[in-house]
Amino acid sequence: MSGQRYIFHIDVNSAYLSWEAAYRLQQGEALDLRTVPSVVGGDQASRHGIVLAKSIPAKKFNIKTGETLFSAKMKYPGLLVVPPHYELYRQCSEAMVTILQEYSPLVQRFSVDECFIDFSGMEWVAGDPVAAAYTIKDRIKDELGFTVNVGVSVNKLLAKMASELKKPDKVHTIFPEEIPQKMWPLPVEELFMVGRATSKKLYSRGIRTIGELAKANPEWLKLFLKSHGLLIWNYANGIDYSPVQPQGALEMKGIGNSTTLSFDLDDRESAQRVLLSLAETVGTRLRQAGMQGRVVSVSCRTHEFYDYSHQRKLLNPTDCTKEIWETACELFDEMWQNEPLRHMGLRVTEFSQNDLIQTALFTKSYDKQRKLDRTLDAIRVKYGPHTIYRSSFLHSGLRALTGGVIENEEYPLMTSLL
Amino acid sequence: MKILMKPIEMIAWFNCDGLLRPIRFRVDGEVIRVEQVCHITEEKLAGNKMKIYRCQSEIEGQLRPFELKYEVQTSRWFLFKM
Repeated sequence: MSGQRYIFHIDVNSAYLSWEAAYRLQQGEALDLRTVPSVVGGDQASRHGIVLAKSIPAKKFNIKTGETLFSAKMKYPGLLVVPPHYELYRQCSEAMVTILQEYSPLVQRFSVDECFIDFSGMEWVAGDPVAAAYTIKDRIKDELGFTVNVGVSVNKLLAKMASELKKPDKVHTIFPEEIPQKMWPLPVEELFMVGRATSKKLYSRGIRTIGELAKANPEWLKLFLKSHGLLIWNYANGIDYSPVQPQGALEMKGIGNSTTLSFDLDDRESAQRVLLSLAETVGTRLRQAGMQGRVVSVSCRTHEFYDYSHQRKLLNPTDCTKEIWETACELFDEMWQNEPLRHMGLRVTEFSQNDLIQTALFTKSYDKQRKLDRTLDAIRVKYGPHTIYRSSFLHSGLRALTGGVIENEEYPLMTSLL
Repeated sequence: MKILMKPIEMIAWFNCDGLLRPIRFRVDGEVIRVEQVCHITEEKLAGNKMKIYRCQSEIEGQLRPFELKYEVQTSRWFLFKM
């Protein structure tokens, strides 16, 4: 054994759009979305109207992911907008992982369109790492019909930086000896974990490139960025020891759902109903995971895009929909100032297993409610999620269950943990 | 051949080994018998499995090649090219 670590990072080029295009071509559509200015965008009527993914021709008009469809259309009026199909994206992601698993037993799904694979030792089976990276890239292109970038290096951080170099359909390497030429000239915000807030602080102190950050004194960085400064200094020098973690290795720390409302909420009763519909899905997910949470937090976004949140620790952990909802309503009443809301979220954290329950003498008993929860869960699993719901949602115009683009996601759509 | 991708009604034969053969189909009211299957390929573009049958038949006195597609997930048949 050579003992050399090889890590690949596989990143789908404009994922949602490529998948949409590949599927449409297979269904006999003549136009390839990737060749014209086009975007995958949410539904404007229900106020999910943002750009989720863009084609490379759309990028030339300075259209950015995350901006509103309205402003994107201002930049290019002929822009083609297609709605998203999350089930399709999961299927594409699944197919890609199946191919990757042929090259290594260690595959980590980093998000729906990114994977890490640990290729260490696999060179004896699959050959030279860079050649294997090209094979993977070409196989995905030929068999699945979309293009990927593959980054090859000795750790996850460098592999991820490598796959981000030049797109699309490329293999890049950043081995430690290549860091000065390939990574250091890049602007500092290109580095993983350096976002808007950090780059602003770094720019104001004269650090503009990753190289300048790498040569800075880590103690000095710690003065104004705390431990995060040390982390990004390590990253700038290509130091990262995080292992490739197969699915399920990462411990779950919280379960939450949120929703952007199709209209601005301005009465307490509707807000409570929205919280109830979120509590239903959060509660079900908690019980499915066999967990109980002790901290409940509620977040709100106003019509002026101002965010705030509030949380409370319960006396005992719970997985009961009603208890979560009641706590959420208390939290909501304490922080809401009657301003119209466009987004609400509910989250439960601080987990413990739900097989043993510590009961309390002086709190309300939720035994009956817990039985009801179990029954509701069973009915919904057997006959579909919308077969039974609380009557308070009748004629309310609100959905009885909200949150999550695809139910039961086993991997995050987005994450910042390497 | 031109890409048509028309949904069609199909009579097909499944043998004991799970092999699937198109027998005849109806498109725009016209029934076409599949006389010969030249070769079968599989694709999984966008993770969606499809079997592609390259066939030929005599249609209006002319021997014409065409391609049929079978979408495994939805059990739908298409006249892909003709």
